[in-house]
Amino acid sequence: MKTLKPIVTLFFALFLLNSCSDDNNENTDPPISGDYKDGYFVTNEGPFQNGSGTITFVGNDGTVEQSIYKKVNGDDLGNIVQSMVLNDDRAYIVVNNSHKVVVVDRYTMEKIDVIKGDNVNNPRYFVIFKNVGYLSNWGDPNDPSDDFIAMIDLVTNEVINTIPVGEGPENMVVSNATLFVNLEGGYSQNNKVISIDLGSNEVKTITIVGEVPNSSSVDFLGAVWVLCGGNPSWTGNETAGRLYKISDSDVSYFEFELEDHPEHLTYGNGRLYYNLNGKVYEMTLSDNDLPTENMNGFDGYYYALKYNDDKLYATDAKDFASEGDLKVFDISSAKLLETITTGIIPGDIDFQQTQ
Amino acid sequence: MRYNLSFFLSFFCVLAYTQNNYTNELEEIVLKGNFSPTLNSGYSTETISDSILKSTYQSFGNLLQNTSNLYFKQNGNGMVSSISLRGTGASRTGVYWNGIAINSSLNGQTDFNTLFANGFDNVVIRRGGGSVLLGSGAIGGAINLSDEILFNSERDGNILFGFGSYTTGNTQLTGRISTDKLYAKISFGAFGSKNDYPYLGTNLNNENGELKNYNFNGVFAFKLNEQNTINFYTTIFDSDRNTSRTLTALSKAKLLDFNSRFLLDWKYLGNRYTSSFKMAYLYEKNTYFFNREQAEFSESLSKKFIGKYDMTYFLNKKILFNAGAQIDNIKGKGTNIEKAVQNDFTSYLLFHHEPISKVNYNVSIRKGFSNQYEIPFIFAVDFNAELSTNLNLKGNFATNYRLPTINDLYWEPGGNPDLVPETSSTVELGLLYTKAIFEFNLTTFLIKSNNLIQWQPVSTDIWHPLNIQNVKNYGLELSVLLHKKINTHIIDFKIQYDYVTAIDQGLSKQLIYVPNHKANSIFNYKFKSWGFSYNLQYTGKVYITTSNTQSLNAYTLSNISINRSFFKNKLQLSFQVNNLFDEKYQSVAYRPMPNRNFNLNIHLII
Repeated sequence: MKTLKPIVTLFFALFLLNSCSDDNNENTDPPISGDYKDGYFVTNEGPFQNGSGTITFVGNDGTVEQSIYKKVNGDDLGNIVQSMVLNDDRAYIVVNNSHKVVVVDRYTMEKIDVIKGDNVNNPRYFVIFKNVGYLSNWGDPNDPSDDFIAMIDLVTNEVINTIPVGEGPENMVVSNATLFVNLEGGYSQNNKVISIDLGSNEVKTITIVGEVPNSSSVDFLGAVWVLCGGNPSWTGNETAGRLYKISDSDVSYFEFELEDHPEHLTYGNGRLYYNLNGKVYEMTLSDNDLPTENMNGFDGYYYALKYNDDKLYATDAKDFASEGDLKVFDISSAKLLETITTGIIPGDIDFQQTQ
Repeated sequence: MRYNLSFFLSFFCVLAYTQNNYTNELEEIVLKGNFSPTLNSGYSTETISDSILKSTYQSFGNLLQNTSNLYFKQNGNGMVSSISLRGTGASRTGVYWNGIAINSSLNGQTDFNTLFANGFDNVVIRRGGGSVLLGSGAIGGAINLSDEILFNSERDGNILFGFGSYTTGNTQLTGRISTDKLYAKISFGAFGSKNDYPYLGTNLNNENGELKNYNFNGVFAFKLNEQNTINFYTTIFDSDRNTSRTLTALSKAKLLDFNSRFLLDWKYLGNRYTSSFKMAYLYEKNTYFFNREQAEFSESLSKKFIGKYDMTYFLNKKILFNAGAQIDNIKGKGTNIEKAVQNDFTSYLLFHHEPISKVNYNVSIRKGFSNQYEIPFIFAVDFNAELSTNLNLKGNFATNYRLPTINDLYWEPGGNPDLVPETSSTVELGLLYTKAIFEFNLTTFLIKSNNLIQWQPVSTDIWHPLNIQNVKNYGLELSVLLHKKINTHIIDFKIQYDYVTAIDQGLSKQLIYVPNHKANSIFNYKFKSWGFSYNLQYTGKVYITTSNTQSLNAYTLSNISINRSFFKNKLQLSFQVNNLFDEKYQSVAYRPMPNRNFNLNIHLII
């Protein structure tokens, strides 16, 4: 879910400019006033270097509809659709390389507003707390000191404040009126979780965690779990992945093997799930050790992994140059329920907001 | 113009034999090296004349696209441009400079917007697999840019100035001087453009598309005696490009390319024996700024040394042998390349025979060794038969390879030192019919490629190259040429059509960015000092997803030019309109190409 610098330079070096898009499928049909009320969404980053991301809708009745934003609004969403958040009747779509957040009607996908400007710069993720949106921004990816969280008034859709943070703010979660921001490091590797008091909007604590905190979740008791991938071997300073638990009173962690770099932590029904070396692992909140046995039948190198309603939703970006897949697994029966074709590079899955 | 050189070859042969010596063929072999028609009788070649090279100023890619029927994938006007010949990838078309392979040692490709052909005298396009004679990567075909050396005691100068839309300006100054023993040519060019054309149908323009570049060519040759000449060639290219925005995203990036190439060639021309000893040094460096306003960049560079010996020996009038050996030493370095060294040694042998009058064939083999991988044994057979005075049949079968490049082997992270060379088998058959004012050429081909190197994701942030892809290409190429002169009216007409299918054998899908259909036609009319030219190009639909679910529309382009010469051709003015009908098109998705635009060229010959 992040486009690391080595990949950028690699693509450049290889001239792999084989981007893909639906630009020229000229759509002359009038916008369909589709009803996207009952179902969930997958955001697709779109082709890597040039093109537009898209949104796939999966209806509860089993219907699947691609490129719904373009269908409704007639124009492209933008380059690298990073993530999306649903909130009441709105959806906020973060478009990383077009430096904007597109606000749409969550039920019809009709565009309502676009949040952009100097204070939306390489945006990554969006969370909402009491009618304020918090948007993590890398700023200039090569500048380690201009990263920030933008606070957005959801009534006016304007940035009302920015909070400077360290390099590479990525995933965020809210627990006990506190925002926990993973400083993953952007194009390099960082190792912090920063907590921001959502009353004063000031930084409370900076917790040093393992390298590359790539995902986080909040359990039902309010503890924040942060999965750190560790430094990959190509950095020349490989470090082991770690799973941190941050609660009011305590910070503790589990350590993986040196060559293990887990990612995609997701939480549900008292259990944590993550993806490591092409396997999916499950552990309970009270486990004293990391699981050694992987979940049978869930294998894959996933691009996104999310828990929802006793199911695991996992995306496969395949060759990054054609449509990806979304796999839906039933956890209790360990069965693959369905495989759904998505857009190009499916990076986020969004269910009804539970906030 | 497309000639079947073997046709001329047979003509030359007859001439040579009647003169009862080998001079003509030997001279041709010495001049054209491994691109010589004698050694390539079963292949079709096309030559672009120096008058075209000298009178227009454009990147090599645009020139080839406008004068020949080649397909380029261009990342916006002036940006990175790569070729796909016969549906093969950009690194499977060999690009040569005076017979020396100049595809990047880093990625195996050539960016055709980092070559400008004005300073050169000759361009040859040789289609079909040619690794045996030409080495790694000549699979779809090969293109040779060369300088001509003449000891004719003449001197001339060419001055070209051009102006165009989007604040574009260019100049090329070339001077040549020779005696009966010495030859020198110096050519210098500069090009700059704001390149800020509007994106048709939007309110955007080609932001961050500025580019400028400089080129220098130098040739110095010494004729020691009737048998021995020593030639020194150099070419330097320096380019500074911002990289264009797309329809959906701004860009602040910038790309610098610097290439310098040096070649020393000692040629010997004997009575029945000729040889060429070459030493070349090629330097390339590219620097990429994510944000041109900041100091941070990433860069890659390579240094390549080539030593090559090639000889030809006529056993008798009907049989000749050609043999060669080459060493390549490549060093790579860069932000993502620690330390990379590639050492290759290859040698080849060719047997040419004319068993009966008007029929000749070649059999050739090549084998090499490397510190990195096993270089496969490859071979080729080609023939040309003059069926009647008007009709020629030619054909070839060849096995070919492409060696992994520095990036494939050493890129960090992900590079794979265990890669092996890609292999391809190519076969083609062609018919050429010529009659007075008319020429008709039809060629069909088949390419089967195995173990193609493909970069694949192994995790979300690591990609890794593997010998994994198998591809089958087939197609046909058709060209018709007409040349008619009525008093002072001269009409030239050329039409070319290529049909290509390139199927990924694993996916059973057409490769992305390979059009099934591509056509080009040029109509030239000359009357006294006036000239008029109309160029019509068609590029078919290309797929842009490997699943073939999305595509870019086909497009048709028209370019016209009017020129007039003054003072006995000493001054030529030409005015050109490109994309006459304002076609809205993209070569690469989301990267619109220019609307209708103009340029004016002033060419002085002194």
